[in-house]
Amino acid sequence: MLRWIVWRDLMLAWRRRADMLSTVFVFVIVVSLFPFGIGPETQLLRTIAPGVVWVAALLASMLSLGRLFANDYQDGTLEQLLLTPQPLFLVVLGKTLAHWIIAEVPLVLIAPLVGVQFDLNKETLWILFASLLLGTPVLSLIGSVGAALTLGLRGGGVLISILVLPLYVPALIFGAGAVEASILGMSPAANLYLLGAFAIVSLLFSPFATAAALRISLE
Amino acid sequence: MLCTWYFVLGISTLIQRTKYQALSTNKMNLYKYASPAMFYPLAGKMIPWFAIPAALLFATGLFVGFFIAPTDFQQGDAYRIIFIHVPAAWMGMLLYVLMAIYAGIGWAFNARLSSMMASSLAVTGAMFTAISLVTGAFWGKPTWGIWWVWDARMTSTLILMFLYIGFISLQAAIEDPRRADRAGAVLALVGVINIPIIYFSVQWWQTLHQGATIRILQKPTIRGSMLAALLIMLAACWLYSVAVVLIRLRCIILEREQNAARFAEVGV
Amino acid sequence: MHWPDLSMGGYGFYVWGAYLFSLVAIVWELVSLKQRKKTLAQRQSSQQSMKPVATPVLRGSVNETTS
Repeated sequence: MLRWIVWRDLMLAWRRRADMLSTVFVFVIVVSLFPFGIGPETQLLRTIAPGVVWVAALLASMLSLGRLFANDYQDGTLEQLLLTPQPLFLVVLGKTLAHWIIAEVPLVLIAPLVGVQFDLNKETLWILFASLLLGTPVLSLIGSVGAALTLGLRGGGVLISILVLPLYVPALIFGAGAVEASILGMSPAANLYLLGAFAIVSLLFSPFATAAALRISLE
Repeated sequence: MLCTWYFVLGISTLIQRTKYQALSTNKMNLYKYASPAMFYPLAGKMIPWFAIPAALLFATGLFVGFFIAPTDFQQGDAYRIIFIHVPAAWMGMLLYVLMAIYAGIGWAFNARLSSMMASSLAVTGAMFTAISLVTGAFWGKPTWGIWWVWDARMTSTLILMFLYIGFISLQAAIEDPRRADRAGAVLALVGVINIPIIYFSVQWWQTLHQGATIRILQKPTIRGSMLAALLIMLAACWLYSVAVVLIRLRCIILEREQNAARFAEVGV
Repeated sequence: MHWPDLSMGGYGFYVWGAYLFSLVAIVWELVSLKQRKKTLAQRQSSQQSMKPVATPVLRGSVNETTS
């Protein structure tokens, strides 16, 4: 069942490849905007790089969250999924996993390229990659709760942002903290471990919260 | 203290509910107050009992704070802001937890009144959080030199404000009141579980970067009259909250009843 | 007991500014609640006046929503 859901979502997303790429484009554009606002001085850019890249990743993820359930909701598939005998949290897990593959993994892959714009050295780029790899599941999982709560509401995108961004703060702190530690030459291990811990905890709890929220939104 | 008493009352009512099975006509039936229509007049009678003592305690607290508490050695008279800042911050946090509990109970037991209580608490809690943020800034400027310092407490309070705004926005965006109640419950519970995580992360983040920021000033050593004023103001804010939340709860009960009546007339 | 220094040792703007904001917030809350009650009362009276015949409102059934 899980495999089927993931495969189905991937197939549907592949048919609308433009949607997949749009998340990456937003990410790259937002990151590139910051030097325009702050100035091209390399030392300054290197200092702000972790925060900027991570915040841009947060924003790009958030924009993609609306699509997590909306398409299935509109054509009625979501209701049918609710009626299956399979536990709902598995369905949710499958969709979230598919969303992560579609929307977040391209971000993670592009991030080192973007990091080069900020003159980060090779080791820091690896840490950037690793922190996003660990952190983006958290973004998808917590974001899925917000997406389920705001299903079918007007002004959904903005509302998801308001709900979910405060909950992203710990991931942001430790994710950007890992990259920053690497820039300063210190060990990013503590940050990465904590980020991994968040990923595991959200993996354990958020599918259930999202499943409950889906039932509420669909009555 | 008053909050403990109120909390115990809430918990004991909850325990009564879960144990009670059949309605007895002999004993006084507290369950009838779970109905919004029955609670409405009770709330109306309760309000003055909280509002008037609140006003009196506010007056007393401010009197003790300004006329009796001495000038602080380190901060001069600027410290007197804490008499509103600290109680407001505590109320902001306490009301969020209460809101989450009521919302959770309303969702778990399908109790409408409980969910309405949560919606009512949200606005007052947000207001107190806003007060604590602004008064904190007003306290920060004379003591630390800048209006906003990213210390653990202020930053966590800011995130709490965002959580309140999220809850209120979500409920405002959903038209069906029962869906709004339940969705709010999920959000509030997720938020309340995240609060310790957020606080820990922010504290870790702040101590790591402390080298670049201003050394956080220690709280002034709380002496007798200062502590007394602080506690009196806290009690005042607590009683005020109860009164205002009950007033708003009555408004919410009426609004829902009117909407339901209108739909019934139309034949929905 | 002593008379407080009204200028708060030079910090008067901050202390009184903080309390003023708090007062404004509390007053705003109370005023907005009063406004809300007034709107409700108006709506109540207009609903009553629109009812042609006094219908018994079955409180229990009207308020129950499906869940």
